[in-house]
Amino acid sequence: MKLFGSRCEQVAAIVRKDFVIGLRRRATFAAMMMFALTAVAALSLSTGGNFVEPKILAALLWVVIFFAAGAGISGTFDDEAQAGTLLTLKLYAAAQAVLFGKMAGVLLSLVTLTTFILPIFLILFDAAVENFFLLTATVLIGLIGLSAAGTLTAALTTSATVKGGLFPILLFPVTLPIFLPAIALTEAALTGAAFDVSSLVVVAAFDAILILASSILYDYL
Amino acid sequence: MNKILVLLTLTICAAVIFLVPPIKGLGDLAKIIFFHVPTAWVAVIAFFTSAFFAAKFLRTQDFSFDTLSARAARLGFVFVLLSTISGAIFSKLTWGAYWNWDPRQTTIFVLILIYGAYLTLRAAVSDEKVRAKVSAVYSLLSVLTVPFLVFILPRMYFSLHPSPVLNSAGRVEMDSVVLVVLIAAVVDATLIFIQLMRRRFF
Repeated sequence: MKLFGSRCEQVAAIVRKDFVIGLRRRATFAAMMMFALTAVAALSLSTGGNFVEPKILAALLWVVIFFAAGAGISGTFDDEAQAGTLLTLKLYAAAQAVLFGKMAGVLLSLVTLTTFILPIFLILFDAAVENFFLLTATVLIGLIGLSAAGTLTAALTTSATVKGGLFPILLFPVTLPIFLPAIALTEAALTGAAFDVSSLVVVAAFDAILILASSILYDYL
Repeated sequence: MNKILVLLTLTICAAVIFLVPPIKGLGDLAKIIFFHVPTAWVAVIAFFTSAFFAAKFLRTQDFSFDTLSARAARLGFVFVLLSTISGAIFSKLTWGAYWNWDPRQTTIFVLILIYGAYLTLRAAVSDEKVRAKVSAVYSLLSVLTVPFLVFILPRMYFSLHPSPVLNSAGRVEMDSVVLVVLIAAVVDATLIFIQLMRRRFF
């Protein structure tokens, strides 16, 4: 219990550290927000205010979130990698605490991103939300999986020499099991149609698998 | 071994051309199925082989396992492309379109993406030690999608793809000549894969 408590403190400390650094250098976060905004504007402009089917809207929303996340979280470990301090950080806190601290930070920034972009998206496409609770639940469990897989993928790509585009290439196949059900559920939330509860369970279960797998695999890096 | 394989492959080709009865209404090109099924089988086998050697590498830190894992992935990439193209041709003949995101087509396309991502990652990391670790971790991470692609996706979307030879009913619904040739082709492709794994071509 004591160990768990100290781990939680370490995780919180790492989240706090990244948050402070993030505040000092806002570039990454700003880039992610602006990327999402630009993508939504481009989509909305190019459809010219025409009615877009909820199914397509749901797909567009997740594509925007996915690629904006790619722009924002691919450099999660870059600060430490560039300064060569990742080992020091692992000395201060257990490796698992580093992973979960980063994961919590990534989730936090993705939730902020979605809170920012979702209302804009809905307004620009003039879409109504019939089932708000379902939309919130879907976005939340979708983002949890995205941050679990994204954090490990970011750890994989830090040492890559060619960075551009590598992150989404690696992340997409792994998060597909979240992506497809999340789009179906978002569509149901927009139309208010009956939805399949088992899809929610599938995404949640896959979240748990991804978190567990990241935790196991990170030790080998 | 090489001679036996060449002979076996030629025999199977001859059997496909002369022995197998033409498929009703589809013409001779439909016999591409004897190429499609074995290559798809090897593409999946290679995927698990790569993950298996990746796990072995992470446990032992022996770089020969990393080499094997990478070789399986490269071979798998070739086989998955062959299988996708032959499958698309067969799909055009039977369903009328080369591609329509049938669950099986989605599965094989995700497999292409995973192989492609894995090989891109390997190309992007220059440090040998880091490359081995990073690609092994990715290989194992990508295996997690298999249960979803195999069990959940086909339930979410309707599939036109015929069920495997060993279907859930446990019955074989195939002409015996066709079945024998198909099994021989699958065995042949598997042997070719094993033989290529033992050599340094890739």
